[in-house]
Amino acid sequence: MKILIVEDEKQLVKSMAQFLRQESYVCEIAYTEREAKEKILLFDYDCILLDISLPDGNGLKILEQLRQKNKSDGVIIITAKNSLDDRVKGLNLGADDYLSKPFYLPELSARVSAVIRRKRFDGNNKIVLREITIDLLGKIAIVNNKVLELTRKEYDLLIFLMANKNRVVSKNAIAEHLSGDNAELFDKFDFIYSHMKNLKKKLSEAGGQDYIKTIYGLGYKFSI
Amino acid sequence: MRLLQVSLRSLLLYSLVLVLISIPVSLFSIREILNEEVDESLSLNADQFLKHIKSFEYLDDLETDLKVLDQLSYNIHIKPTHENIVGNYQTVVLFDSTEHEQRPFRQLSSSVDIKGNLYLLTVRMSTVDNDDLVLAIGSVQAALIVLLATGLLLLNRSLSRKLWKPFYKTLNQLKAYELDKNESIKTEKTSIIEFDDLNKTISHLTDRNRKVFLQQKEFIENASHELQTPLAIFQSKLDILMQSPVLAEVEATTIMELESTAKRMARLNKNLLLLSKIDNEQFTDTEEIELSSLANDLLSDLRPLAQMESISIVTALQPLLIIANKTLIELLLTNLFHNAIRHTTLDGNVFVQLQEGTLKITNSGGPLKMETDKMFERFSKESLSENSTGLGLAIVKKICDTCAYQLKYSFFNESHTFSVSF
Repeated sequence: MKILIVEDEKQLVKSMAQFLRQESYVCEIAYTEREAKEKILLFDYDCILLDISLPDGNGLKILEQLRQKNKSDGVIIITAKNSLDDRVKGLNLGADDYLSKPFYLPELSARVSAVIRRKRFDGNNKIVLREITIDLLGKIAIVNNKVLELTRKEYDLLIFLMANKNRVVSKNAIAEHLSGDNAELFDKFDFIYSHMKNLKKKLSEAGGQDYIKTIYGLGYKFSI
Repeated sequence: MRLLQVSLRSLLLYSLVLVLISIPVSLFSIREILNEEVDESLSLNADQFLKHIKSFEYLDDLETDLKVLDQLSYNIHIKPTHENIVGNYQTVVLFDSTEHEQRPFRQLSSSVDIKGNLYLLTVRMSTVDNDDLVLAIGSVQAALIVLLATGLLLLNRSLSRKLWKPFYKTLNQLKAYELDKNESIKTEKTSIIEFDDLNKTISHLTDRNRKVFLQQKEFIENASHELQTPLAIFQSKLDILMQSPVLAEVEATTIMELESTAKRMARLNKNLLLLSKIDNEQFTDTEEIELSSLANDLLSDLRPLAQMESISIVTALQPLLIIANKTLIELLLTNLFHNAIRHTTLDGNVFVQLQEGTLKITNSGGPLKMETDKMFERFSKESLSENSTGLGLAIVKKICDTCAYQLKYSFFNESHTFSVSF
């Protein structure tokens, strides 16, 4: 699967590409609006990560061009501005998602896989990882043909971990993914711990393997 | 006291003194002139009389005639004398039979020689009564004072209405001027050079202040924007580093500490950015918002988190429809709820009440360590928690100021209450 990263900050691009390549995405990079436009004309991408403020122009122009050419590449806008205007403009121009800096790379990875799934499988899709099947349309998790009784948070947590399989995901990243701004409230991560404990218990009760590993001091890892 | 009143008072005082001084001065000068005139005509009369008598010197019984004349005449008296007096003028008071009162007379006494005999000739003429003169002059001057005072007052009033109008207009605009509001002072062209100068100077000054203020505001916003990218790079490097398979426990702990610090920086920066965005009026779109359901939505996300600390959230919400910017209202509520939960002691409770247009958020907890006034200032922190940026309540205050909501805080019975009146 091919991803185009349009971003002028070389260090950030390097990290993003490195992280996404681990997920076996093919990453191409454009540092300027001109480069991006050339690449878009030549190739189709599954997902384009688009920074709005580029040295030679505005990323929204690229989005306009995409729509003019009737291209259906998924687009996630990444911006430092976090302004409502840009968000509305971007989404109106057909962007699929919006991520403001700074962000956690696991969050980016989860968003990318969600966009690709939506684009590729037209919403009617399932994530299958060995005995675990996630029905995204019905929002249910099935293990060994048994439907798990998951709470909303546990379901979100499972998808987030699976989208970042074989990678360490920090507690901070999980907390923000699950609770957004409310994650600010407590220094401790008790609520993640209890969600995680319940999820693991439900998975194993349904006969699933213990994929979720606690990485001491850092967070969790869905190892497969 | 107004400028015009001060000048009017000085003018009035000056004219009053002038008029008062002018009364005795004019009295004396008029008296002098009158006396001079009267004396001249007295001397003329005496002269004529003597010439007349001289033409009768041939009469033998002139002596007797003069005696008769002295008896008959009222204004002219002639008596034999031994003294030699030359032109003595004086004022005497005699009874005026027609007026039935004592009247002042001017008289000239002089010794004359008629046919070798020395006579004292006295010529008299009625003159103006001093009292009458004082009365006349006094009443004229009094009328003058009255006319002067009313004239000045009327003039002053119309002047202050017309002439000073641009000045008071500018003054009122200056009084209403607020640097952080998006209005500049509009001045009108006047016919007065000083006012035009003043207006120009004020316009220049306020425009300059506003420019500096806007630059300052923009600077904070731009600085916060610029920090977002390095923060993103920092976080991304940590995420990469975490994936290293050979991390020892010490290194892992350090990475987590770095991540917590990065999180704190990001949050601080986000809140600063929010503050300056509210300052820069970037949340202007308004819509209808039902406050109680919005509060319920936000609280339902918070309840599970609060339960971790055994904090119970109780609500009593009546529907309230307001027209406002949704982002701002969400921020306002979120910050107030977070603040309440963060400062509630373990096993405590938070009570959210929405009634009669006022939202009250009460949480149990000990008394404040800081002063109440400082609570809404930027970077004033009550808790030592790293999670608190010290900007939450500053944002709450800023939103309330922007939307003209009334924000109050009180501490009573071991519980803190924040109330916002919409």
